[in-house]
Amino acid sequence: MTLSFRKSFLAASVSLAALFSAQTLAAQEAVFVIGTAEVGAPTYNPIKATMLNTATALIFDRMVSQAADLSYHPWLAESWEEAADGMSWTFKLKEGVTFHNGEPFNADTVKAWIELFKTTEGENAYMAEAIASVEVVDASTVKFVMSRPEPNLLYNLSSTFMSVVEPKSFAALGDNYGVTEVYGTGPYKLESFAVGQETVLVRNEDYKWGPAVAANAGPAKVERLTFREIPEDSTAFLELKTGGVDFLLSVPADLMGEVQKEANLAVLTMAGQDVWYMPINVTKAPFDDIRVREAAAKAINQEEILASVFGGVGAVADTFLISALPESKVADSAKIKFDPARANALLDEAGWAMGDGGVRMKDGQPLKVTLWTQSDSIFRRLTEVVQAQLKAVGIEAEITTFDSSMIRDQYKTGEQQLAVRSYNWDNADIVDWFFGGDRLGYPNVSMYNDPKAEELRTAAMTGAKNMDERVANFTAYHEYVLTQFPMAPIYQPVQAFAYNTDRLSLPATINAPSFGTAAFMDLEVKE
Amino acid sequence: MIAPLRALTRPQGGIAGLWLILVIVAAVFAPLLTPYAYDIQNLPNAYQPASGAHWLGTDEFGRDLLTRLIYGARTSLSVSATAISISVLCGMVLGAAAAWFGGWLDRIVTMTVDLTWSFPEILIALILVAIIGPGTTGVMIAIAVAYLAQFTRLTRAQIMTLKGETFIEAARSLGAGNAHILFRHLLPNALAPVLVSAMLATGDAIILEATLGFFGLGAQPPVPSWGGMMSAGSALIFKAPWVIVFPGLAVAITVVAINLYGDALIAELDIRARLRRDA
Repeated sequence: MTLSFRKSFLAASVSLAALFSAQTLAAQEAVFVIGTAEVGAPTYNPIKATMLNTATALIFDRMVSQAADLSYHPWLAESWEEAADGMSWTFKLKEGVTFHNGEPFNADTVKAWIELFKTTEGENAYMAEAIASVEVVDASTVKFVMSRPEPNLLYNLSSTFMSVVEPKSFAALGDNYGVTEVYGTGPYKLESFAVGQETVLVRNEDYKWGPAVAANAGPAKVERLTFREIPEDSTAFLELKTGGVDFLLSVPADLMGEVQKEANLAVLTMAGQDVWYMPINVTKAPFDDIRVREAAAKAINQEEILASVFGGVGAVADTFLISALPESKVADSAKIKFDPARANALLDEAGWAMGDGGVRMKDGQPLKVTLWTQSDSIFRRLTEVVQAQLKAVGIEAEITTFDSSMIRDQYKTGEQQLAVRSYNWDNADIVDWFFGGDRLGYPNVSMYNDPKAEELRTAAMTGAKNMDERVANFTAYHEYVLTQFPMAPIYQPVQAFAYNTDRLSLPATINAPSFGTAAFMDLEVKE
Repeated sequence: MIAPLRALTRPQGGIAGLWLILVIVAAVFAPLLTPYAYDIQNLPNAYQPASGAHWLGTDEFGRDLLTRLIYGARTSLSVSATAISISVLCGMVLGAAAAWFGGWLDRIVTMTVDLTWSFPEILIALILVAIIGPGTTGVMIAIAVAYLAQFTRLTRAQIMTLKGETFIEAARSLGAGNAHILFRHLLPNALAPVLVSAMLATGDAIILEATLGFFGLGAQPPVPSWGGMMSAGSALIFKAPWVIVFPGLAVAITVVAINLYGDALIAELDIRARLRRDA
């Protein structure tokens, strides 16, 4: 009796001790939940990937960093200069930078890295397309010789898709680079990666070359970061509420109120970079008729969606671009806004007469279309509202739900008619990405391939000599695409994050367009 | 067929039976009973808790939850019952044929059935829905196939034991053909246990249908199903808990009722011993 009591007492004190040591250990790490839109990113290979998650920004550095006002600042490049005619750029590189595998970062690695865009198969080659060749001036100076002026070069260099990879291991590892192993110069090293589940990063102790927009140049303050992938927002919120995780990298508008109700949780918002929209497959009847496309687009009541689905947080979208971009300032007539009278008139004109049960008919056929969506609850909810709004003008849409990680492959079949989806990007070249005639299926879900649009697209992508010209060309391209109705814009959210205020202390200001490297450098775990 | 009525006189069977009758009547007469349409959205009216106008509150689109629950009963009951009927019909034909003719037919049927028997029903159903595509038809076929093994085995076992009885031998020596013996003598005697087991399987099928609906594979919106409603409600669990609670209760109570009534029926038919021996 006494013996067993003492034994259990001993066991209890041992486990208590273990608990305490686990807590002091836990103080040096933080658990993040990847945004639902980034769940399932299959690789950390920036040159090949079509989707990269937030952890990418910690494994790799980039040449240039971007501030909250979208201006450009030094990172791996200390300074740069563009030739007057735009035909060359000279970059002065930071010295003493090394990759995680010990290789040095210098002018030769930059040359080898840029060349990878030309030799690697993938969708991202356009990012470095305008760079004809790279000349090594000295160990820490490179000169990009351009095939044409590229006003968007600094944006591309600040994008995670132009994260600087280590060229030797990139060549040696092949398809495994970014999956089993990955080497960058970033503030964190990859410890483990399970696709769709979890990424664990450990601090790079040698790091002292952080972006100019961060207060802390390095090393980072938190020792170990875990990025979990939870595809369902309410599950992620429950984990945050019960202390299983410390930070959610996406919080939908309808959960923000729930977060604010909790004493130890807080919401952080930043200007939005997402647009929610309804792509319309222009090759599938009845949407091969532009009148039916315009009717479907103008049946969408953006204001109602903003108020009822998103609780009034964010803004309506009436173009394909976020309103912070100058290229979104198209002519008023090109903006796509709710207009049920016009939608009904167009459908009548196209021969679709209102039939019984509120569904339009033509030649004995009902106006029945498919409406694809992904399985996250917010998409399903929005899609049901879209379905009801289409029904109001006599279009019967049948919803098909696909798993969020599978739907991109489904789009590649080209069988879709309507869909509800969103993208995250803050540059006008997203119009090229989603409507370029050479990317049919996915990313070009609308299967849009129009000769005039292709002409305007070429001018926008490659024809501009400076930023003003680029803005003008992209505005024209964007405006033309809008008038062809390959999609209907719906909603622009704000970026919202939620975190545990007992566990994390965030920097007072985050001088970046999104919660990326700069924010992580200054982030602290409370002891 | 007086046993189903006698089962109602037992206390458990009575309460359970009444609930089932209520649900079935509500499902059949849904358009007459409900003051609202199940698919018309009224967004400003969303997330209303229970009130005089909406007895169970409204969902995220401002639709009356009671209306959707009643229409949901239609989907859930009709899909499950149809699926199990198909399953019973095919299962009995296969099982009877295998038992009566024996030989290679028996071996092939038993082998195939045992193969599907070795997987959980939900797994078979999920694979089938993935192949056929989401929607009520897909779910119906998937559930029917998932439960086929159970009825085939049960019928086969029943017929196997009956096959050697003297009345079959008598029928045969009087010159009765295969079809006559099968349909006149064997199947009627094997029917009762199969029907009771079908009744109990319907309860499981409702859960399976709700599970598939929860994954978004069942009836597609705006058609309500209990599983689909729970799935939508799971995202609103903090904001509007009634959206998930009521369909959940409906599934739970209905399945319990089916089981209780099934138990009462078994007691009335006095076939428990036979079920235990054969299943």
